[in-house]
Amino acid sequence: MNDPRPTEWKQFIPSDALPWDLRRIHHLHRRAGIGATWGELQRDLQAGPEVAVDRVLRGGNATDDFDSLQRLIGDAAVSSGDINRLKAWWFYRILYSGDPLIERMTLMWHNHFATSNLKVANVAMMKRQNDLLRRHAMGKFGDLLRAVIKDAAMMVWLDANANRKGKPNENLSRELMELFTLGVGHYSETDVKEVARALTGWTVRGGDFEHVPAYHDDGTKQMLGEQGDFDGDDVLAILLKQEPPARRIAMRLCEVFFGEDVITDDALDELASGLRDHDLDIGWAVETILRSEAFFSEDNIGNRVLDPVQFMIGPLRALEMLDPPPSTLLLAEWASKLGQDLFYPPNVFGWPGGRSWLTTRTMIGRANYVSALCRGELHRPNRPPDIAVLAKKHGFSTPADQSKFASRLLLGHENATGDMKAILRRPASQLG
Amino acid sequence: MKTNRRRFLGHGSAVVLGAMPSLVSRAVMADEGTRSNRNGKILVVIQMSGGNDGINTIVPYADEGYAKHRKKLRLPTDRLLKINDSVGFHPSMRSAADLLEQGKLGIVQGVGYPNPSRSHDTSMAIWHSAQVGDEDVLRSHGWLGMAMDAARKKTDDPDMILVGDESQPLAIQSRRSTAVTLSSLTDLRLRQPAHAQPKPTSDQASEFSLAQFVDQTMQDAIATASALERNTEGGADGSAKYPTTRIGRRMQTISTMVKSGFQTPIYYAIQSGYDTHAAQLPSHSRLLREFSDATKAFLDDIEASGLSDQVCVMGFSEFGRRVAENNSEGTDHGTAGPVFLAGNRVRSGLTGTTPKLTDLVDGDLQMSTDFRNVYQEVTQAWLGISELQAAESPSSLKLFDA
Repeated sequence: MNDPRPTEWKQFIPSDALPWDLRRIHHLHRRAGIGATWGELQRDLQAGPEVAVDRVLRGGNATDDFDSLQRLIGDAAVSSGDINRLKAWWFYRILYSGDPLIERMTLMWHNHFATSNLKVANVAMMKRQNDLLRRHAMGKFGDLLRAVIKDAAMMVWLDANANRKGKPNENLSRELMELFTLGVGHYSETDVKEVARALTGWTVRGGDFEHVPAYHDDGTKQMLGEQGDFDGDDVLAILLKQEPPARRIAMRLCEVFFGEDVITDDALDELASGLRDHDLDIGWAVETILRSEAFFSEDNIGNRVLDPVQFMIGPLRALEMLDPPPSTLLLAEWASKLGQDLFYPPNVFGWPGGRSWLTTRTMIGRANYVSALCRGELHRPNRPPDIAVLAKKHGFSTPADQSKFASRLLLGHENATGDMKAILRRPASQLG
Repeated sequence: MKTNRRRFLGHGSAVVLGAMPSLVSRAVMADEGTRSNRNGKILVVIQMSGGNDGINTIVPYADEGYAKHRKKLRLPTDRLLKINDSVGFHPSMRSAADLLEQGKLGIVQGVGYPNPSRSHDTSMAIWHSAQVGDEDVLRSHGWLGMAMDAARKKTDDPDMILVGDESQPLAIQSRRSTAVTLSSLTDLRLRQPAHAQPKPTSDQASEFSLAQFVDQTMQDAIATASALERNTEGGADGSAKYPTTRIGRRMQTISTMVKSGFQTPIYYAIQSGYDTHAAQLPSHSRLLREFSDATKAFLDDIEASGLSDQVCVMGFSEFGRRVAENNSEGTDHGTAGPVFLAGNRVRSGLTGTTPKLTDLVDGDLQMSTDFRNVYQEVTQAWLGISELQAAESPSSLKLFDA
């Protein structure tokens, strides 16, 4: 980062107050990735923050046959028409892609552009949207927005097909402005109507986006103070040059990478302004965040409720339970019990996240997940993890050392007592 | 951010999730095992899927059209459970008749909407969304979902719960409220109660309020799970007897959740099978018995728990059947039918005009009450949500006691 201005986003440089220690590395992997093995923690401890963050940003480490296998699994899910198999495919990616950050970002955009198969009812469309979100997850927001608004699943979800000249449907228009770009207060009800008119003609035929000129209202529209015979592309161009989208993206990213009350309004404004200067480059913003002192600050460690996917997969990775693979169908089922049913966000607002992940039902679900994990029930046949063997493998042979090892591996510090199960059931295991 | 969940314990005693310390159990005992949403009203909707034959449900036995149109399907007058000198319950609805006698059952007659659709899907979508029109009308949200959106009363538990294994009905879909499906109580049971764990003292995070929140949520979840265990073991005093039917089990699940302190205001259960095109008598009889028995068992159970002023059950179907029977000893898709409201606070008895079987439109009953007016009463008078858009036309319908 060579930004010359005085900044809320100054780079993290280890110091006596903010040492580059196991706790911060654990934090990096837990917050920006989906947990880490002991080997990865040690490797990054040696390498220092620059290289460690590079690795998170770059990804890598996927096995050679990952791509062909994930393609096989994804295609089979699509041809089966079984959405559970598509959920399992995503879990396969999360477990084995070697680039957990991209999967986290894809999940973030799945939440931002929340589209549910409940209405779309089409596995192929849901997969295409997911591929699209992943492809643009760290790119320019403009490219992402242009792709996702013309995405078949999105168009079905927000009734684009019903939006015709003479009888506009405002669903897509409203959410485009309220949820995807501007936010409440930055547009009027007239804008909603006018943008709906401009979006007429964009429709889905045979499962694909199609522009049907006969459906398009080519009259003059007025939106956000501009006037013209706008079509959908014009609308997106106008929206993308407004001020608010950058701040909404910045907020989304800060929800993902920061805990409660860490980021000040000033910091958010500065990140938004940086996004505007960088053509809404999401990758730039993510890198700025992950290299920042704010990200590694004391306040930001362990003060965010882990979303169900992180909560579930973190220990699986840390405990090296991926070979042989756990049942990804079971993982998808558990995620649903824990309140994060992939491809079924609760509504257009997506999962509210944060503290709302934790309810009576999902807390009980989390406890039961830990039981299942410790009993090895995520594998078929059962394969309970053996922390003592793992500890020995990494050079901890006495029971006292093994207990410390479990605490450091799973929580990033050695203060927790008790066995693996006890640690995983602590309040601290819900946070990260 | 919400932090104040139900409190059974003071702050600060960190409990390890999965443990069931005696402290928690005692605290729950002290609260008599019912941790209910004490102020909030609860609505339980039973969807009678398939199109219930309202004519053979609330039977207009004195109407000369009844014997005329129902030859094989006519229920003998002497077996009906008479409500007054012109209508009576289907003989298998003994439980419903008992509820009526106790002043706990309201029957709204002839409920429907203009230009009725005879398609299951369209008519159900109309009832779900409260948007009348053909199948092309876009219906993104349900009437209960919209009610919850308008109420904006956020609790930690879902706004709406479908109890069953069907996919979520449009009725509980919304723009921003939460609806979840719960197929069984297993998902709400701690699989491994285990032993008490020593209170962790050295977690660095536990000084922060977020950690306290997590801790509190865990304690609440454990307390709920333990209340649930006890409520599952045969009800408050073992007196709750549910029929072992699917709808019976679902109603029992709902009552267990209500008694265990779930804050959810809307529960939804589906009873299928009402599409009686052939050999209707035995199946319809069974369905009505199951519906009535489950409803009565549920309300008895709720009453034994002292929660009867908070709970109301509503039963509806997407349409009635045609007045004239078909040639297969069944009935085809028709129009208006009865809606049931059951509970301590409902205005008991018959409401609305009894449909006349001699005054038909194309062989179908004319509706006398618009279902949107029923919804309006339920949302406003029962759920206390007045922010919703009013029904098409105002009505003087009064379905609840003041």
